[in-house]
Amino acid sequence: MGLRGIEGRVALVTGAGQGIGRAIAERLVAEGARVAVNDLDPDSAASTAADIGGFAVPFDCSSRAAVHEGVARVEAQFGPVSLAVANHAFMTMAPFTDELPADWHRTIDTNLKGSLWVIQAVAAPMVAAGYGRIVCLSSYWGLSGWPEAAAYTATKGGIATLVKSCARALAPLGVAVNAVAPGVTATPQLHVDADAAGVTYDEMCAVYARDVPLGRIARPEDIAAVTAYLLSEPAGALVGQVISPNGGSLT
Amino acid sequence: MPIAVVTGAASGIGAACARMLTVAGYTVTGIDLQPAPDCASSFEVDVADADAVEAVFAAVERDLGQVDAVVTAAGFYEWVPLFDLDEAMVDRAVDVLLSGTANVCRAALRRMIPRAHGAICTIGSELGLTGDADAVHYAMCKGAVHALTKTMALEAAPCGVRVNCVAPGPTDTPMLKPHMKTPDYIASLVLQRLVDPNEIAAMVAFVLDSDQHNLVGQVISPNAGAVI
Repeated sequence: MGLRGIEGRVALVTGAGQGIGRAIAERLVAEGARVAVNDLDPDSAASTAADIGGFAVPFDCSSRAAVHEGVARVEAQFGPVSLAVANHAFMTMAPFTDELPADWHRTIDTNLKGSLWVIQAVAAPMVAAGYGRIVCLSSYWGLSGWPEAAAYTATKGGIATLVKSCARALAPLGVAVNAVAPGVTATPQLHVDADAAGVTYDEMCAVYARDVPLGRIARPEDIAAVTAYLLSEPAGALVGQVISPNGGSLT
Repeated sequence: MPIAVVTGAASGIGAACARMLTVAGYTVTGIDLQPAPDCASSFEVDVADADAVEAVFAAVERDLGQVDAVVTAAGFYEWVPLFDLDEAMVDRAVDVLLSGTANVCRAALRRMIPRAHGAICTIGSELGLTGDADAVHYAMCKGAVHALTKTMALEAAPCGVRVNCVAPGPTDTPMLKPHMKTPDYIASLVLQRLVDPNEIAAMVAFVLDSDQHNLVGQVISPNAGAVI
């Protein structure tokens, strides 16, 4: 705790109803930020907000209009967003040749386009203020590829390049844009993997941990710690970096 | 004779690939919005249309035989400032560059994987490695193509099909922005010259060659030293 430049600022975390997003929102509240907790699901946004002391702002990140409207709602109520985390994601697993078109498009619309919509919506006021910090969640799988996750890995690799592109555009204007690319992390998303593999959640965690040099998969708090640092003031020299807390899986 | 399908075959890197593969002995079918005169035959099809792409592969296999090699060069590049990017521009880039690549690769892999034979070379971009402040939508799609290539390679390699990516740097084609043809820009490149489309095509032909059976899921960037 005690990262400079977070206390008193308005932060938006998308997909914060559960998992990594929730842990990030919780960490930012602990650092003294006023945190807008977004989720597609209004109930999970509300319960996270109530639990951690943030405020719920549910909207669908795959809709450009909804994202702009949601960010405007945060600004009207609490002031301009100066810290933003695009964490929301959708994922299914299937062999690439069997992947359903609807799943492909929803994954791209949510993860890849949705991250761009969030950046566009929050960056304009940040540029006006001459200060901002944006973090997008990529994934270790987006850097390495992963079988039966074509759409997901494509979007997560695309997010790494999206971040580099926007970082180039926005760094001269005082806005730092970076990415965090977690390795396998103990979140509800692992239920998708467990179901695909036909094993329990705990068995899935143990299977993944075997391939991690650190000997365990990440905790959501591990990812939140890196994300919070990238949102802090001293992180301003980090431009378009992709930081992967993955326990040594990909070095 | 081996059979190849090349998208974006009417111009630039796609046309160079079509010519190079023809010289290498392939019968090349082009897919492009325009007729592709460098190909033995071509279909005027939008790669964003998955059904139309599937129909082309069905027609090629019916009329010519099994497809051995595929190159996904269809694409376009445009400069748009970050805050001016609207939904239509982003949708079109994603539909052509990312979903278009997936449509072609899916049609190809559905045929190649069951017979454990074939190779695909996607076309990425140096800008997919570095990002591009003036074409955020283009760069993010190319970065996504690099990752998609790795995932397809991981799935297809155990089935005897190889997927790799060639990620060109500044190449002397009609798609290149005018400022990239100026002496100042060219002087900024390590090689002090642009990449020739035939150099990209040679790299693609090398990657597709069945002798390269150990080359899997790689993103290779012939870029005149623009990114090292």
